[in-house]
Amino acid sequence: MKLLTHNMLTSHVKGVTKGYPLLIKATEVKVSEEEFNPNFVSRMIPKLEWSALVQAADGLGHLQDLPTELIADYEANEDFLRKVHRVLLEVEVLEGCLQCPESGREFPITRGVPNMLLNEEEA
Amino acid sequence: MEPCLENVKAIRRSKEEKKLLRKQIKASHTLLKHEGISTVSKPTKSLVVANGGLGNGVSREQLQVVLGEGGDVETLIMHPHKPYALVTYRTEVSAQRGHVLLNGRQLQCGDQVVTLYLSYVDTVDSESGVCAVLPPGLVLVEEFVSLEEEALLLDAIDWKSHDEEVTVQKALKHRRVKHYGYEFRYDNNNVDKDKPLPGGLPQACVFVLERCVRDRHVKVMPDQLTVNQYQAGQGIPPHVDTHSAFEEPILSLSLGAKTVMDFRHPDGRSVAVVLPGRSLLVMKGESRYLWTHGITPRKFDVVPACDPESPVAVTSDFSNHSNLTLSRRGTRTSLTFRNVRRTPCDCAHPSACDSQQAPPSPPSLPRSQTDACRLEAEYVHSVYEEIAGHFSSTRHSPWPRVCHFLSSLEPGSIVADVGCGNGKYLGVNPEVFAMGCDRSCALVQICSERGFQAFVSDALSVPLRSDICDACISIAVIHHLSTQERRQAAVEELVRLLRPGGRALIYVWALEQEYNKQRSKYLKETREQAPPGNSTDDHNQETKGLTGNSTDDHNQETRGLTGNSTDDHHQEKKGLTGNAVDSHNPAQDPSSMVMECSKVLPVKDSPVKLSVHTNRTAFNSQDLLVPWHLKDGGIKKGGRVSKMTKDPPIDTKSPVLAPCPVFHRFYHVFQQGELEELCARITGVMVQCSYHDQGNWCVILEKTRDR
Repeated sequence: MKLLTHNMLTSHVKGVTKGYPLLIKATEVKVSEEEFNPNFVSRMIPKLEWSALVQAADGLGHLQDLPTELIADYEANEDFLRKVHRVLLEVEVLEGCLQCPESGREFPITRGVPNMLLNEEEA
Repeated sequence: MEPCLENVKAIRRSKEEKKLLRKQIKASHTLLKHEGISTVSKPTKSLVVANGGLGNGVSREQLQVVLGEGGDVETLIMHPHKPYALVTYRTEVSAQRGHVLLNGRQLQCGDQVVTLYLSYVDTVDSESGVCAVLPPGLVLVEEFVSLEEEALLLDAIDWKSHDEEVTVQKALKHRRVKHYGYEFRYDNNNVDKDKPLPGGLPQACVFVLERCVRDRHVKVMPDQLTVNQYQAGQGIPPHVDTHSAFEEPILSLSLGAKTVMDFRHPDGRSVAVVLPGRSLLVMKGESRYLWTHGITPRKFDVVPACDPESPVAVTSDFSNHSNLTLSRRGTRTSLTFRNVRRTPCDCAHPSACDSQQAPPSPPSLPRSQTDACRLEAEYVHSVYEEIAGHFSSTRHSPWPRVCHFLSSLEPGSIVADVGCGNGKYLGVNPEVFAMGCDRSCALVQICSERGFQAFVSDALSVPLRSDICDACISIAVIHHLSTQERRQAAVEELVRLLRPGGRALIYVWALEQEYNKQRSKYLKETREQAPPGNSTDDHNQETKGLTGNSTDDHNQETRGLTGNSTDDHHQEKKGLTGNAVDSHNPAQDPSSMVMECSKVLPVKDSPVKLSVHTNRTAFNSQDLLVPWHLKDGGIKKGGRVSKMTKDPPIDTKSPVLAPCPVFHRFYHVFQQGELEELCARITGVMVQCSYHDQGNWCVILEKTRDR
């Protein structure tokens, strides 16, 4: 699970109103190189919840020098875009779980795949 | 010169040290978030050894030797699946020595090299060992036969008559099986009580049986023997031995290498039992009639490290983590002795009993949410889990019009593929960010292996933020939902995900397979190309069971075989079909439809029975079960023996060549206009276009901006 995906995921346990963002508890994280596409990164940024991204990256120990606030005029700032690229697409959680911030319910992540299925009672 | 060189050496050393320190920090940072393990900078007696775990192939023995270099180890905890270990030395000095000597140490584990990183931790709590209990009725007798007796028995088994089957077995990588006493039947998973095999039980086994009687493990001498031989990596799926076939107890003598047998109770409880070589397993009561037993095909087992004073069995949690290691499997031969039952079974476990249970009633159209969920669980979700591999191999060509939809999206779009299957569409447009979700874990794993972002979830409750997607696709998914309400809810969920102005593409299987005088590919091959007199005749498919996709699915276009519909309803190997009847005009001329199909109207009081469809023929009802013939036998990777209807279930203790199992999937095929009608009931959406594409009804809908 990449952090870009994590940024979109939310808890959908019945009755929960503040199910976002999910807390990441990782036991295995992989960092790999992905081809840098500045246009792609630029286009993703407005769709992100920036603080959730920062929180997630920090929790994994991968915040490094990513700014905690979104900077202005990022489209032309390649340096910044590279930092965003790294955090969004190169950091992957392979094992661990995602926790609903409100209910505490944990969703396991196995071999990179989060299992978000709810039981009958929770759906 | 010399001082210069010295400087360079010093710099290099400190660079290495820095790199090591960085890696150590990274490893401890990860552990920091894991189950409350916090690393500390001040030396203590305890250390966490990152990468030194059973979970990544490091054995206890190996690690113990290495850790011993620091000094006396008091405890070493290794959780079965974790990639780290927790060590407590007797003294702080030893811990420090261990840290200095071993931080950054590389270990050879099999064909891998593993680097250990050590950090100090606060005092480690060794979990109190829970006394693990065997399933009721189960007894394990160790050293039941001597080494000499074991050799004699192994020698006495005649595998020669199996030679023809050997190549098949090797190809299937399946265990070897041989029976004595009574013949097994495939079709009812039972013994043919009227056909005893000549020769009876081998003379060499008599002493074993006499010993069992003498030691009061059984009252009457068993009259049936099944010999199973397992190589490392082979197993047997979980099952309960048919109640009506055999009495209790069932006696199983293990020869050769030890293995781990998993017992599972219907409520989910599970016990892993180590079966040493030369031990006798006696299954009585619950352990024989209720718990399933099976052997996971594996090359290694996690077992207790030393000769335990405590019971051999451990729970599936392996709660006493200070006592585990890896054990490589060797060849194991089991001799299972049973008494053939002559009267119906009257055990205390009717839920698992074929004598006491009425045969399952055929499914009917659900009339409540709960029924709907249950029907879909049985006739959609568990089926896809079982057939995932085979299914994925038949889903190879993306449909052109779906690709066109995806390719026409703006670069940087966010797309959700709800019901993504094996990820066929996730890579079509590399300029967009695509996420797939599916109900089947097995299929989602395939997506992940292919490098796509995907997660497991239900189409009715997708765990994505609202208004986040520029586009969604749901291809051949909604027709698996068994009530109109649920189908509508699925479309509503897609709409929720869309941002205003976003669009969704939905494909569902059409009731009308012939459209504008053109037959879909799903129908085409049957009449035109099926050779006459072929035993794979379409209409006999249901009764023959062994037919179906007996040849390669990928060649179905040219051979006109029955069995599975490839590529869901049509094969599009050659790009655009030219047959897809396109129309952006939702109101199609009904007279152009060749097929006039009437909806099956449910009678008020009695539930509507679901009929089983014959593949490659026109649909004669909207709600039905569509067969899938699973290729390459039904030997699944340690999974449960699943529900199969009509065709013979697999007798897991029988000879290898089980017939091709058939699975039934629930479908509600859509009538012309039905999908659009459904969308029209949803507020805030507009149907942009609708069309018929090779046996499917399709819509593109847009979430309106003023919602």
